[in-house]
Amino acid sequence: MSAAKRRTIQPHEVKPAPRPAGLVLDAQLHLLDRQVLDVDGVPVTTVDDLELSGPVPDEPIPEGAAPPSITALLTGPVLGTRIFGGRPPSDRLIRIPWDVVASVDTVITVGVRSDSLDASWVERWLRNHVIGRIPGGSHDPG
Amino acid sequence: MKRLLGVALGILTAIGGFVDIGDLVTNAVVGSRFGLSLAWVVVVGVVGICLFANMSGRVAAVSGRATFEVIRERMGPRAGLANLGASFLINLMTVTAEIGGIALALQLASGVAYLLWVPVALLAVWLVIWRVKFKIMENVTGLLGLSLVVFAVALFLLKPDWGVLASQAFTPSVPKEEGAGVYWYFAIALFGAAMTPYEVFFFSSGAVEERWKVKDLLQARINVLLGFPLGGFLSVAIAACAAVVLLPAGISVTTLSQVALPVAQAGGQLALAVLILGVVAATFGAALETTLSSGYTLAQFFGWSWGKFRRPAQAARFHMSMIVVLLAGAAVLVTGVDPILVTEYSVVFSAIALPLTYLPILIVSNDPQYMGEHVNNRAVNIAGLVYLVIILAASLAAIPLMIATGAGA
Repeated sequence: MSAAKRRTIQPHEVKPAPRPAGLVLDAQLHLLDRQVLDVDGVPVTTVDDLELSGPVPDEPIPEGAAPPSITALLTGPVLGTRIFGGRPPSDRLIRIPWDVVASVDTVITVGVRSDSLDASWVERWLRNHVIGRIPGGSHDPG
Repeated sequence: MKRLLGVALGILTAIGGFVDIGDLVTNAVVGSRFGLSLAWVVVVGVVGICLFANMSGRVAAVSGRATFEVIRERMGPRAGLANLGASFLINLMTVTAEIGGIALALQLASGVAYLLWVPVALLAVWLVIWRVKFKIMENVTGLLGLSLVVFAVALFLLKPDWGVLASQAFTPSVPKEEGAGVYWYFAIALFGAAMTPYEVFFFSSGAVEERWKVKDLLQARINVLLGFPLGGFLSVAIAACAAVVLLPAGISVTTLSQVALPVAQAGGQLALAVLILGVVAATFGAALETTLSSGYTLAQFFGWSWGKFRRPAQAARFHMSMIVVLLAGAAVLVTGVDPILVTEYSVVFSAIALPLTYLPILIVSNDPQYMGEHVNNRAVNIAGLVYLVIILAASLAAIPLMIATGAGA
């Protein structure tokens, strides 16, 4: 797009966003840092960050583009970069697709089992290689 | 009848569970140097721990959420992580001190050097965490810890001048051979020992482990409101024993055997045996609680699966982190560092970290999204705010006083 075609939008031309229907969630307040439970109530992780669809940074947004939406809950190294700055390479993001989210309350529930998610790989690795191998590790506390 | 028994058991375990190596050592040190002139601090500390333990128990029962999950949710990841770091380090220090305490008590009983007991204590603590049910673990260590009542018995057998003790306790003043800075430094140490933050992590996580509901809150409240003050009474008895025997003799406590000296003098071998049983049970119980607390805080911050009600394999990261904590604690001990010294520092650092734990609890217990109709009432909030001021003052004064007094030397 050439500079001549780009029109500056004056503040008074911006219309307020339409009031969305249904429950309004505040990402900061209701999603980030919330506990994620699986379908059986087993803790999976905490929401370390969110992945949004939509506009690429530093590029103009075409008129009528769909508003960004949440595509996944993120966990893993992204917590470190959220706290200390920077961003991890996208192949190191551990994603819980938004499609599997079943409900959002004081905890976020997903409709699948924890073991089927990438987010539980450390748990599964430790279970299979260390904790599950110590005698008594896979028995109920007696 | 069964319910009454349950209440009685709860109170008894709360008494036995209140005293740990921090209370034992700090009270004996304080008693041997200041008599009962710091007994008021124990009272202030006990009221505070009752207040906040109740609050965190209520948050856990109503929302089903333990303290550290809520800390991160409400304070965000940065403040949450800073809080986790501080709490975890203090927990680790306390685990070290408690395992050292078990080993020292076993040395007192057997004559075998405590360093040889460290691996035994470590393994025993881990086995209980690995295999024993939460409820059994709590009840057994709590009930055996009640043997520490021997301090109160010993105090009577010593036939002290009650008038002198009472005047020390009720008209407190700085003894003339000690400086005001040292007096206040030990006041903070004693406060930290009574209000140790791990108790709150443990209490709220325990409420989730035992699946408390709102209807269980009354019993929990009775346990806390009777058990902790009676535990505080035991703490004062420890200080009083030291005040009666060690203070006049000019002995300042640097070893566990000096803590036991008044009891041995009053009641002989039998009393000493009961005392050792009590110390082992109390430090063992506290070692379990602090180890679990470090697992709880980590798991709750990162959202891992946790809890003793699950099979270890179903909470692999939780159990792994506790194994690492226990090994780290033992590694610190085998360097030959004096466990009593670790204890003395751990209670002061606990005091420094108190606001990190107690402020978020106060905020969340007022949040209707978690608490519904069970938010704090006005009286609890006023008391909570008053305590927050005390806690902040103690926290801010601790390091300057530590430097100025050379850690109470």
